[in-house]
Amino acid sequence: MRILALVMAVFIFACNSSKKPDEQAFLESLDSTTVEGPAISEEVISSIIQQIPSPLEISVLLKESGTKYDKGFLNSADNLSKYNSNYRKSLNLGIYGTDLGYTNIYEQNQDGLDYMATIKELADGLSIGQFFDIETIGRLATNSKNLDSLLLITTQNFNNINHYLQEQNRANLSVLLLTGGWLEAMHITCQVASKNPDNNELRETIGEQKIILENIVLLLSFYQEVDQNMASLLEDMQKLQAEYENVEIVTTYKESTFEIVDGVMVIKDNSSSEIKITNENVSSISALISSIRKKVIS
Amino acid sequence: MRNMKKALYSIFIASLFFIAGNVNAQCNSEQYTNTCIPKLATGFNFLKSYKIDGQGGSKTKVEYSYVFTKGTQYMINVCATGESTDGIIVSLFDSNRNQVASSKINNQFISAIAYPCNTTGIYYIQYTFDNSTEFCGGSALGFKR
Repeated sequence: MRILALVMAVFIFACNSSKKPDEQAFLESLDSTTVEGPAISEEVISSIIQQIPSPLEISVLLKESGTKYDKGFLNSADNLSKYNSNYRKSLNLGIYGTDLGYTNIYEQNQDGLDYMATIKELADGLSIGQFFDIETIGRLATNSKNLDSLLLITTQNFNNINHYLQEQNRANLSVLLLTGGWLEAMHITCQVASKNPDNNELRETIGEQKIILENIVLLLSFYQEVDQNMASLLEDMQKLQAEYENVEIVTTYKESTFEIVDGVMVIKDNSSSEIKITNENVSSISALISSIRKKVIS
Repeated sequence: MRNMKKALYSIFIASLFFIAGNVNAQCNSEQYTNTCIPKLATGFNFLKSYKIDGQGGSKTKVEYSYVFTKGTQYMINVCATGESTDGIIVSLFDSNRNQVASSKINNQFISAIAYPCNTTGIYYIQYTFDNSTEFCGGSALGFKR
């Protein structure tokens, strides 16, 4: 019997010792109001979360389309003190994450460092600050030759945070982080589009966000019964989704072909998609995005 | 009582072997994703890394999904033990599950796919195993405009 007790003791010790101090601190810092989980499995939620594209793609599009950097589009780092619940911290961590990506793409290093400090503080408040090595990021940000490494590290940091939150069964925070990131990318795109009404590429980018919005609405809907804040955000997103009903995405399928170039299989996509969106649609979507964002950052 | 002690001791030793065996068989995908990220071609920005764990052959496929955007070029590569892909095939399917690409061509395993996307939508990135020895690998997804 003593041997059985010893085996059990070893297993109990092994289980307890796997809980790192960071995790303990994180668990203690969770909002007491969000004890219950969603009615759907965390696995399903994770599979939807992973589909949402990085806001960095939009920042690259904006730069490649020749639009100038404008700090005025971004959420001021001075707003940090307003975010004192996990709900607001997570949403605004996503928003600042997009702002950081935007400053990085445009190589605005000083602004990037300001956002990095803000992000670190918000992340510390959510006990996920260990994912940001601010010294390394600061060093990389001082030289524009390090842009690729800087983008890589910041993308990896955010990926790791999302993965960690889902592992901790706190995917709700991950959903908020991604929603905030998407909202900010939409806000910047809409602002740029309003100054360039003839830019068809920007209009189409706004239109094709219909697909991502569907995922965000779905993710938020999983929490509407257990989290009042997320239910309220869902209502706003559903109004936006109603506006997107006027946007049509028409896809035509044709089998793809390929060729091998330097050992890489290069696909030729013979399918196509057409995004039917008017400037009036863009204006209405833009107005709704501004209103939702204002609630989130104020 | 003595027989019971012996039986429990045997279970304990057997469980140690079982645990040790599982540890050896565990797939450390991270080492492969870390290899794959720098192998993305020049100009591609890193987006995601994917673990490919076939759990010693008990899983026949590993699948992820991502929204690809028209006008963006994506690259997906595969890394496994040695220089090869160890029989890991990456296939790409569009939102209607039409196959867009498969990295196995004429019994050759290609380690990277470049996809200049013309159709915005959800895409499924599927990894399968063909005579794999370790059923373990990693993959990276990058993009450029």
